[in-house]
Amino acid sequence: MLGELKKSLQKLLRIFKRKKQIQLGFYGPVNAGKTTLANRISLDWLGKEVGTVSEVPHETRAVQKIENIVVTTNNGELRMNIVDMPGIATQVDYKSFKAFGMSEEEAKARAREATKGVIEAIKWLDNVDAVLVVLDSTQDPYTQVNVTIIGNLEARGIPMIIVANKIDLPEAQPESIASAFPQHVVVPISAATGENIEKLYEAIQKHLT
Amino acid sequence: MEVQLDFVSAETLARKGSAEKISFILDKIKRNIIVVLEEALEPREEAELIEATMREIDAEEFHGIEFYRIDSRARGLREKIAEYISGRRHGLTIVGPTRLIEAIKREPDYISMLMKVDIPLEEKKRGRKKRKGGK
Repeated sequence: MLGELKKSLQKLLRIFKRKKQIQLGFYGPVNAGKTTLANRISLDWLGKEVGTVSEVPHETRAVQKIENIVVTTNNGELRMNIVDMPGIATQVDYKSFKAFGMSEEEAKARAREATKGVIEAIKWLDNVDAVLVVLDSTQDPYTQVNVTIIGNLEARGIPMIIVANKIDLPEAQPESIASAFPQHVVVPISAATGENIEKLYEAIQKHLT
Repeated sequence: MEVQLDFVSAETLARKGSAEKISFILDKIKRNIIVVLEEALEPREEAELIEATMREIDAEEFHGIEFYRIDSRARGLREKIAEYISGRRHGLTIVGPTRLIEAIKREPDYISMLMKVDIPLEEKKRGRKKRKGGK
């Protein structure tokens, strides 16, 4: 009960403290396409990519910040800093990296960096104004990692949009994400092809600023 | 292979602060014990559990956890007041080491836990016979 009162107060405070430039965090499980989306937005509005994307899990192992992005939509201008977080995971096994051709030492070093990245991402929860929760719409949305991320944002009163990514893939089921989290705005997109990206910008402006 | 499951009562958990609760859980997980808590962890506690797990991971012995919260929180005002007064967060949380738990998956009517238990071939055969009604 106290938690809900606190959440309502936080929401009210946000209305009065509306910022001209928001700090927008990208959260989600590993390999959901957070960095692909950050690159897409950065390429669209700054003309350059910022992060490396690959099939290897935990490619992003440190927080990447893209500052001073100004997006123009039908409803006006949207100013934001993007904070692309390492993917949240509950396990990191260095052997999984060896399957991608890494040596034992490289794989262990990557695993150490990956664990630090997850810790860093969790700590950043207290420093973002709003969040895009990027989920892979080809995967089951009912995972504990997804529930924990969304639960933490709700508990902190941080406004969020759920991005159902990878809709360009034939097995994508963005509707299953919408039915898993009916209390939140869900925008289906493909960060890889740019499909529906305009709708995402409009949703950010409408719900997160 | 033996598998140990420890069931921890809500009363025991209520006596522990968040940090103490997390280290209590991780201490068991690192000894390859699956823990079933008689309460739903709070989202912040879940984040703390993940953070603490990441600090404990080492290449040879411990690769992380699988966990699942089954939430049956009170929805009505009366239940919420009762929950607040009792301090008990209704539900269950299952936590185990990835060495033992392959996955915990939500199905429409139940939660399914897939475990990695190496059962000797002879025992598997005996199990099959029993299911078929053999001796």
